[in-house]
Amino acid sequence: MSEPDRSAEALVRSLYAEHGRSLLAYATRLTGDQTAAEDVVQETLLRAWKHAGDLVEGKGSVRGWLLTVARNIVTDRARARAVRPAEVGEVEDHPPVERDHSDSVVNSMVVLDALDQVTPEHREVLVELYYRGRTVTEAAQELGLPPGTVKSRSYYALRALRSVLGGAGAEVAR
Amino acid sequence: MSTNDAGHDRSQLGAYALGALEPDEAREVELHLAGCAECRTEVAELEEMKQFLDEIPPEAFLDGPPADGDLLLQRTLRAAREAAVEPATVAPAASMPPRRSRWLLAAAAAVVVAGALGGGVVIGRQSVDQAVYEETPAGSKQATATDAVTGTTMATTVQPRGSWSWVVVDLKGLKTGAECQLLVTDTSGKTWVAGSWVVSERAARDGARFSGGVLVPPDRVGSVEIRTVQGERVVTTQL
Repeated sequence: MSEPDRSAEALVRSLYAEHGRSLLAYATRLTGDQTAAEDVVQETLLRAWKHAGDLVEGKGSVRGWLLTVARNIVTDRARARAVRPAEVGEVEDHPPVERDHSDSVVNSMVVLDALDQVTPEHREVLVELYYRGRTVTEAAQELGLPPGTVKSRSYYALRALRSVLGGAGAEVAR
Repeated sequence: MSTNDAGHDRSQLGAYALGALEPDEAREVELHLAGCAECRTEVAELEEMKQFLDEIPPEAFLDGPPADGDLLLQRTLRAAREAAVEPATVAPAASMPPRRSRWLLAAAAAVVVAGALGGGVVIGRQSVDQAVYEETPAGSKQATATDAVTGTTMATTVQPRGSWSWVVVDLKGLKTGAECQLLVTDTSGKTWVAGSWVVSERAARDGARFSGGVLVPPDRVGSVEIRTVQGERVVTTQL
C-alpha cells in the first residue's frame, strides 16, 4: 500500500470514529433516506481527506466543517435534480431538502466554534437544556449534578457564549 | 446577587431563557421580571443567544461512530483508496518538502498536482486543464477545456456506472439554435453518441448541463466532445 493510501485511510478512520454518528444522523434527517445519507457521509469524508490541510490548520471546528460539507452535498444534489429532467442511470429518489438550516451553514461553523471555546461543563449543560430539550430537573439527573448547579452553569454558559460571539448579529454575517 | 424572591436571582435566568425551568419556577421568574428592568435586559441578552444556538443542528452533539457497524467505513475506505491512486499516476509527490503529518503530505501533494495542471496546457487548438481533485462522486473523472476557436467552455465529468459511464457536461458559450451532439471516443478510437439536442436561448445565455450514458467503461473513455450535427467541432475534453 502506498503512502497516500495509508494516510487517507488513517484520516478517514479517525473522522469516522469521532464524527460518523453525528454526520450520518444529520444526513439521514436531511435526505430522509438511509442509503442516500450513507452516500453523503462517504462523500463528506472523501472531501475531508482531499482538504485535509484546511481541516487541520484552520482554527474552526472539524465537526462544523463536516456537517457543513454534508449539508452542501445534500443541497447540491437536490438542486441538480430539480434543474434537470430525470436521467437514465439515476434511479434514486430523494425528498426535498429540509429548509430549517438551509442558509446557516457558515453560521453553524461559527457557533460550533464558539461552543468549543466554552468549557466542557458549560457546554454539556447547554446541550442538555437546549438541544436535547431537557428541563433543569431532567438534566440534573442525567448529568448527576444538583439542579442549582445546572441552573448556574446554564447562566454562565450563555454569558460565556455571548462574550465569544458578541451580541445578536455582531459577528455572524448572514 | 441573592437567591431570595425579592432579589435578582440571575442563576435562574439562563435556564429561564432556555425554557428549562419547571412551570412554577418560571412563574416566579416572570413575577420578578415584571418589576425588574435590569433582569429583563439580562434575559433579553441571554435569549439572543438562542438564535445562535439555533444555527446548530442537534445532531452536531452526537459522538462516536455510527451505531450500525463499519460497513460504511469500509465502503468509504475503498473509495479513498481508489481516489488515492489517481494523483500518483499524474505527478509523483517526491518534490514535497517533508513536513507535517503523513496524511497532510498526501493532501499537500494533491494540491500541488492540481496547481501544476491548473495553469492549463495548450494541446492543439485548445487549452486543457484537468482538475484531478474536483469534488465529484467517488471514481469519477473530470476534465475541462475552452475551445480557442468557438470560445465554448466545457467541464466534463465521467461517472462510473459499473461497466458503462454516465457523462455529464457543463457548457458555456454555445450558440442558440445549434444542433449539438455529445460524443464519447473510447481508447480504441471508436466514437459513441451519448445524446443530441438543440441549444435553447437560455442555455446559450446562462450555460447548460447535458448528460448521457455510453457503454464504455470509465477507464476506457478517451475524450468527450461536443460537435454539431452538421459536423462542426465545438469543444473537446481529453480524459
